[in-house]
Amino acid sequence: MSEAKNLLEATNVSKTFGEFLAVRGADLAVEEGEIIGLIGPNGAGKSTFFNCLAGETMPTGGKIVFAGTDVTRALPETRARAGIGRTFQVPTAFEDMNVLHNVMVGAFLRHPHRNDAREHALRIVELTGLRPDQAARSLGTPGRKRLEIARVLATEPRLLLLDESLAGLTPSELRDAIALVRRIHAMGITIVIVEHIMEVIMTLTKRVLVFNQGHVIASGTPDSVVREEAVIEAYLGRGHRKRRDQ
Amino acid sequence: MLSPRTGLVLLVLGLLLYPLILSGPFYRDIGVTFLLAAISASAWNIVGGYAGQVSVGHSMFFGLGAYTPLLVYTQWGWPPIAGIPIGIALAIGLAVVIGMPTFRLTGHYFSMATIAVAELIRIFFGTWDWVGAAIGLQGPAVARGWWDLTFRSELPYYYIFLGVLAVVLLTTAAIERRRFGFYLRAIKASERAAKSLGVPVRRTKLQALALSAAFTSVAGSLYVIKTGFIDPDSAFGILISVQMVIVAALGGAGTLFGPLIGALILIPSQTLTNSLFGGGGSGLTYILYGGIIVLIARFEPGGLLDLWHRLSPQLRKRAHV
Repeated sequence: MSEAKNLLEATNVSKTFGEFLAVRGADLAVEEGEIIGLIGPNGAGKSTFFNCLAGETMPTGGKIVFAGTDVTRALPETRARAGIGRTFQVPTAFEDMNVLHNVMVGAFLRHPHRNDAREHALRIVELTGLRPDQAARSLGTPGRKRLEIARVLATEPRLLLLDESLAGLTPSELRDAIALVRRIHAMGITIVIVEHIMEVIMTLTKRVLVFNQGHVIASGTPDSVVREEAVIEAYLGRGHRKRRDQ
Repeated sequence: MLSPRTGLVLLVLGLLLYPLILSGPFYRDIGVTFLLAAISASAWNIVGGYAGQVSVGHSMFFGLGAYTPLLVYTQWGWPPIAGIPIGIALAIGLAVVIGMPTFRLTGHYFSMATIAVAELIRIFFGTWDWVGAAIGLQGPAVARGWWDLTFRSELPYYYIFLGVLAVVLLTTAAIERRRFGFYLRAIKASERAAKSLGVPVRRTKLQALALSAAFTSVAGSLYVIKTGFIDPDSAFGILISVQMVIVAALGGAGTLFGPLIGALILIPSQTLTNSLFGGGGSGLTYILYGGIIVLIARFEPGGLLDLWHRLSPQLRKRAHV
């Protein structure tokens, strides 16, 4: 992979919490226009790594370069201005505002004037299938997840980090959400997605990184990584081989 | 049912005509006290209501604004109004100095830090001879000219205070519609989410605190120009800060007219309890404030305006039936 084409390049990223090494020398290179999946069992370190990319957690080692700029120590708001957008595992709506005003908060980043921000936000709200005048507090989980995606889209990111944004949805909601992610990708936005639902990973991504015990244990196409012995062992435990052989 | 526009026109007319209709000194005094409480609470509302940074030490800004007019008068013989811009500048400076470290704290830690700073300043002023120490400062007993703003009647004070309240509310209304206002409300809801959308959280909170401090300082200056006397307790006392919080929360913190509604209810009831029980009833203010805090926290965290917004559609429906 040539360096010039990489939108994001994380090299040898580590994060320790006291004695605990949550991420150990993780590498990730994301080309512009890609959708990459990060998977791994619970506690594998993928969320910590994801937070390092988003700027919420400062890595204790390594380097993160975005669009040619070193953002390793940059704050989340600086990264948002640079073009890195993110969602959260538990979506947080600005409860006292309606959907449109929530999205306008994101739109103000590139459109400081109210009317411009409003117009831009309305376009995004329409794209995500929400009702602009609906009170944010009245939204259910799928609506909140959409709202969070809409809000971050309004910041016009070049790279979108989706943190389990499709978890907890019914099968039909999941299909709609997958279609939405495809539409976002079609807008030219590069996506890194952390997800537990394999259907999402298999459907949306062309490349997957598998985390376990703080480092990347496998990478490749979704089809190939799920067959790798290290990945099966990480998810099912060492005992699975013995059981399988019996 | 009244439309919001009609309600606003009636409110403005009511405020303009109040001292002319109820012209007795007692009623005018209530009017002036109400306006001062509304100005202070509206100023607090910018940072405490909209941005959700609940300062319980806003008396530090009120006190600075209260001391500077009498300080410039006693030290240099200047008219007290010359102290207003100095008070504003000092309050903004203090807001920046206080805000930088305390905005690292959130929730009740921030509130406690503001109480501590206000108390420290109160104690410091109580021992500082240059500002009159515990005795305080006295303004001009007799006006040397109109610029001393020393009037026998409450009426000029009423309209000056009303003008300042209009400026504070118009500024807040302008903020509400602009990016700054959206950012404040986003910060109140979730700093983490706001940061992820590129909101410069610390800078926005500092700007809100500085603006709020400036207006609170003006409230302090108005207070002292009217009373002509200040001491550390009446400038920096915790009840001043608590009153701002309660007035705003009672009407609806984070809403434009919440502090006005809160002051409209609290000040007459406070004056009534004080006049009913005389000097022996002064402690009742604490009981009244405590009771209001409990009632708001338990039943109406959004304040009375929020309750009205929830009830008015039902009332309208019933009226149609």
